[in-house]
Amino acid sequence: MPGANIDLLLVGVSHKTAPVAVRERLTVDPEAIAAALTELTGLAPVREAVMLATCNRVELYVAADDADRAAAGLAEVLARRAGVGVPELAEHLYQHRDSAAVRHLFRVASSLDSLVVGEPQILGQTKQAYDAAVQHGTAGAVLRACFEEGAFRVARRVRRETAIARNPVSVSSVAVDFARQVVGDFARRRVLIVGAGKMSELAARTLRTHGATLTVINRTRARADEMAKQFGADVADWENLRGALVAADIVIASTGAQRPVLTLDLLTQVRKARRGRPLCLLDIAVPRDVEPAVGELSDIYLYDIDALQKVAGEHRAERAEEAAEAESVVEEELGRFVKKWRNRQRGPMISALQTHFHGIARAEVMRLSGGVDEKERKARLDIAESLVKKLLHQPMTALRDDDPDAAMSLVQALQRLFSLSPVAALPAEAPGEGSADKKATGS
Amino acid sequence: MSTLTWHAVGAYGIAAAIYLLHLVGLRRGAENAGRALLAIGVTLHFADIGVRCYHGSNPISSTPEAMSLVAFIVAAVYLLTSLRYQLTAAGAFVAPAVVALILLARLAPAEAPVQDGVTLPMMGRLGQAHILLATLGVAVFAFAAVLAVVYLFQDRSLKRKQLDRAVDRGTPLDTLDRLAHRCVSIGFPVFTLAIVTGAIWVARLGILHGQGTLRPEYLIAVGTWIAFAVLIIARVGAGWRGRRAAWLTLGGFGGTALVVAAYFIRHAV
Repeated sequence: MPGANIDLLLVGVSHKTAPVAVRERLTVDPEAIAAALTELTGLAPVREAVMLATCNRVELYVAADDADRAAAGLAEVLARRAGVGVPELAEHLYQHRDSAAVRHLFRVASSLDSLVVGEPQILGQTKQAYDAAVQHGTAGAVLRACFEEGAFRVARRVRRETAIARNPVSVSSVAVDFARQVVGDFARRRVLIVGAGKMSELAARTLRTHGATLTVINRTRARADEMAKQFGADVADWENLRGALVAADIVIASTGAQRPVLTLDLLTQVRKARRGRPLCLLDIAVPRDVEPAVGELSDIYLYDIDALQKVAGEHRAERAEEAAEAESVVEEELGRFVKKWRNRQRGPMISALQTHFHGIARAEVMRLSGGVDEKERKARLDIAESLVKKLLHQPMTALRDDDPDAAMSLVQALQRLFSLSPVAALPAEAPGEGSADKKATGS
Repeated sequence: MSTLTWHAVGAYGIAAAIYLLHLVGLRRGAENAGRALLAIGVTLHFADIGVRCYHGSNPISSTPEAMSLVAFIVAAVYLLTSLRYQLTAAGAFVAPAVVALILLARLAPAEAPVQDGVTLPMMGRLGQAHILLATLGVAVFAFAAVLAVVYLFQDRSLKRKQLDRAVDRGTPLDTLDRLAHRCVSIGFPVFTLAIVTGAIWVARLGILHGQGTLRPEYLIAVGTWIAFAVLIIARVGAGWRGRRAAWLTLGGFGGTALVVAAYFIRHAV
């Protein structure tokens, strides 16, 4: 979509262009974001700035009068932050301008450019980045339009109209969802962790955040105590494994045993004692900790690592399919955004043109009216104003043309012919102080 | 059928279509539309029952009227429950069942309100109380049966490791189990009172009018009561839950359905 004339510039790195060794040097603490934004708007051509910094990307979105100079300045800022030279960082940097930058922003906010397509965090992170810019006065009319009226709207639409984020794609999220479908809310649910290995720790951490009550059971009591202390969990003796299984709602098995520790015999007894109370068994160990035949017992729901990975894989494939649909939503919204942007530029451009011509006419009348009385000067002014109006009538009619593309080409022509700045053509929503001073170039 | 009834059936019917499409995965995120239409259906149905009452056909005056009341209660209870719990899948069973019940009730041959050969004025307060309690009991058991069916579907999805179906269209097993138990716990005392009042009523009819013959549906009703009694005792006493409880709930409701069917057929014939 060339020539949209949106003076948005993006310079950044992401997981697609830079290894973590580079990205980690560019991350910014939330406390340091104000200083970073001030540094960006301190660059001469930059009027507005938003800094999006996550673990997978650092992107600088700016509105600038001179995109080439601004891009060079932003690259220097990033290189300085990374502690490397610009040429060294350049191979990892990408930049987009105009509608291409808007498209990129829309794709990022909609999670189409994420490492895990459809992950929900990126929209929140984008909102935080924009809010920080608003708070520190570095977001003005251009960025407000691109983020608030564009990116956030597109992301919401993608989420609403496609199934891109419907199903979880990580093994742990799939496991949590299976468990939730069996027992419902995790609050006050008892989760038994069998084995105190690294995988168990990961699972314990996930379930703890969901409000579950944890009990750890391990052949080596000391290791169980250590893990229980870490997560505020109870500890059960290995000899009481059967009782702990009867009491549990969810079991996460992840021992290092070479043979199944949760056998069909044991679980048959447990099932009998539970009297139909559903039990969710998540076996994330390799080799497996639960005998596969246990899955055949009624009211016991067994999911091993293969089953969890299979479902996660299916969901990933589903997301890839949905991503194509989401891309078309992005394109549709980009078209709508650009059209709206062009329309928005026409009104202020008409005013700018009128102000420009009337200003010249008035100045000339004043220059040539030395020594004439007030009545005569007023008559001359009226004639000049009338002439300007007549001369501008046809151009004004053409600018008000219904076809935004035709009108836009005229706007661009007028900008060049009369040096009317596109900034002057934007709605009067100045960004914050400090950056506002140097951006009003006027005509 | 009156215009009001047709409109109620129409709203229920569209809600049923939406819920069914949601269940088979063709229309996602339609629960709000389904619920709104069901709410419209319930409102129109309530108005329909009110109008019929005004014209002398009160909900306990005949088996078809009682069936319409059962349909109304089931729809209303589902609507209220679905405001708190994610029960979209249950809607795919409730809405079509409600449509079927109303159509059966309203398309049954119209005749003077008769119950067991006894006209409404002859029923007395005991007979009316029996029919009202039985209707309420059947409605609550019907809702419990819907929950049991959803439980068994959800159980099958989870056993087959179909998270997509389970998460998107189902309700956690534990929630379904608890709700079904709550329904049975409410329905059982109501149904017990219905059985007791019915037994006394039939005995009186036998004495006063010589019409109190022992019919198969009486035995089925007692059998149903026993099934639900076993379920409650097993649940409270022995902690029975899950699939067994779901099947027993379905068995119990099957009994009540047979009783209603027997009355309906007798009425229609």
